[in-house]
Amino acid sequence: MLIETNDLWKTYQMGSEEVHALRGVTLHIKKGDYVAIMGPSGSGKSTLMNLIGCLDTPSRGDYLLNGRNVSGMNDDELAHIRNKEIGFVFQTFNLLPRASALHNVELPLIYNGTRSDDRLKKAKDALSLVDLTDRMTHKPNQLSGGQRQRVAIARALVNSPSLLLADEPTGNLDTATSIEIMDLLSKLHKEGNTIIVVTHERDIADYADRVIFIRDGQVEKDERKTVS
Amino acid sequence: MWFIEGVAIAFQAIWANKLRSFLTLIGMIIGVSTVIAVVSVINGMNNYMSAKINSMGSNTFIIDKEGVITSEDEWLEARKRKNITLQDMKAIEKYCDLCENVGGVVEASSRRVKYGSDYLEDIWVQGITYNFIDISDVELDYGRLFNESDDNRRSSVCIVGPDIASNLIKSGMPLGKDIKLGKYYFRIVGVGKSRGSFLGMNQDNWVVIPLKTYSKYFGKRRSLAIYAKARDMNLMEEAQDQARMILRTRRDVKYDQKDDFNITTAESVMKLYQGLTNGAWFVLVIISSVSLLIGGIVIMNIMLVSVTERTREIGIRKAIGARRRDIMWQFLVEAVTLSSIGGMIGITIGIIFALTIARFTPLPADVELWAVFVGFGVAAGVGIFFGLFPAVKAARLSPIDALRYE
Ligand SMILES: Nc1ncnc2c1ncn2[C@@H]1O[C@H](COP(=O)(O)OP(=O)(O)O)[C@@H](O)[C@H]1O
Ligand SMILES: [Mg+2]
Repeated sequence: MLIETNDLWKTYQMGSEEVHALRGVTLHIKKGDYVAIMGPSGSGKSTLMNLIGCLDTPSRGDYLLNGRNVSGMNDDELAHIRNKEIGFVFQTFNLLPRASALHNVELPLIYNGTRSDDRLKKAKDALSLVDLTDRMTHKPNQLSGGQRQRVAIARALVNSPSLLLADEPTGNLDTATSIEIMDLLSKLHKEGNTIIVVTHERDIADYADRVIFIRDGQVEKDERKTVS
Repeated sequence: MWFIEGVAIAFQAIWANKLRSFLTLIGMIIGVSTVIAVVSVINGMNNYMSAKINSMGSNTFIIDKEGVITSEDEWLEARKRKNITLQDMKAIEKYCDLCENVGGVVEASSRRVKYGSDYLEDIWVQGITYNFIDISDVELDYGRLFNESDDNRRSSVCIVGPDIASNLIKSGMPLGKDIKLGKYYFRIVGVGKSRGSFLGMNQDNWVVIPLKTYSKYFGKRRSLAIYAKARDMNLMEEAQDQARMILRTRRDVKYDQKDDFNITTAESVMKLYQGLTNGAWFVLVIISSVSLLIGGIVIMNIMLVSVTERTREIGIRKAIGARRRDIMWQFLVEAVTLSSIGGMIGITIGIIFALTIARFTPLPADVELWAVFVGFGVAAGVGIFFGLFPAVKAARLSPIDALRYE
């Protein structure tokens, strides 16, 4: 099992008030799955994704990634897991504005000490995977939204992670571009990547093989497509 | 590896905010350039002084009436003292068996020197014993030195500084020409080498004549300075004591009274000079500390702004695997790069400043490599010290909060 969560809680302190963003989420996700996490705004999707992505730690409960318990890890251990095991794709792309596409894609490799010739080769490979070989030297502001998101996907893939996490990856894109990006994710899934997409849109969720519905911080429904 | 990446990020960030970066560095630049310029000038003075003092020789001592006066009381007291006379000098020559090479000089006021119808004003005229040139820092360019018989015969001969030779005797060979001091003629037998100028004073327009010749023509009213050498460096103290006792006896100084003369050594002059420059060093340290402190605080401030502005960037870097130390290193390297750039600009301006001072003012200046290194090291150190807090702050940001930052 790639992901096992057991009664995950996340509670935020807002002044004197406690906000329970997650109230006991138990999930199992296999390697090679393509999962959508769906739910209305404020239901706790991003919070769950941050925990799965090791950007944050749960207030209660356990999270096992590849069989390792992540809940008790410190900052630097989590950074290492994020670097090796997880590739993020964000709604707002989150590219470094002053760096070229190539350098943005290279960045995760810099933080695990990959040698520069190796780094360059891997980054170029990742960019060719998303069809952006001819835009390597462009800065983010010289790229369209769809192209930016593809750079972000290349960056997420460059370290060959166990898991690709996309939080509303089409939230800032028009319909045509959204389809283009979702097709790319489907292709990557077919090539063997495990993908989790967070969305509030049904037609985006429909690309996945399995849809987990979240409401008020709890799993409401877990649907699997029978045919794949 | 990581260092190069850090420096590259730093340059990129600094370049992206050129004007702001430069304004940030003004304090730093002023601090470092002041230090470099002032240190160079002090060094210039030091090197000059020690060359001057060393030329006197470490086992030479000078006995004169006043010594180096540092207060009005000393001056009033010294004025009441008896002159040091030729007889005093002879007594030391005769009885001080630890001394050798005893010589003397009488300091004259400046005079008019004439040659034909030409003349120069304010020329420094001294009477010296024949061996005095050995002790002084004057070197002969051509001609001859005085000898014992010049002195004994009270010959009307003189040795002149190079400026006299070139400015007064405009045509022909200066040697053998007769110049007029007051009412008397003196024949030029030697010309000194140029010593340049120091603190705006020309050191090349002087005339010396034999000491006894001086007494004969210009009187005995002026007090003498006696120069003596200890036979051996180890006998410095003993030789001075011996000379002191001889003079005290000759000059009827009671056992409970202080000396009515002064003994100066190279060491004591150096000490006095260092005492003066210690003050300058102290002021320099204070001024530079203050400007570097301000420069450092400005850098810290700008780095804090930079951390805040780039919170999202920090979040992105953390999300893709940057550890705390990676982020800390990034911002620390940026701060140090920033302050080092300031340091380098400061050093450059400081050197230019020092050279300008040396060129256009009477002050000397020697730019020393150690000062450049210290300036650079201090600048980098300020960057580390004041960059640390912003860097730690950046490193501690939680990735979620940083990513969510608008
Ligand atoms: N840092 C935070 N501090 C306080 N409350 C938060 C924080 N992050 C999320 N929440 C709250 O947790 C709930 C779930 O948020 P989120 O996971 O972002 O929802 P979604 O992504 O499904 O829209 C919301 O009520 C939100 O206000
Ligand atoms: Mg969300």
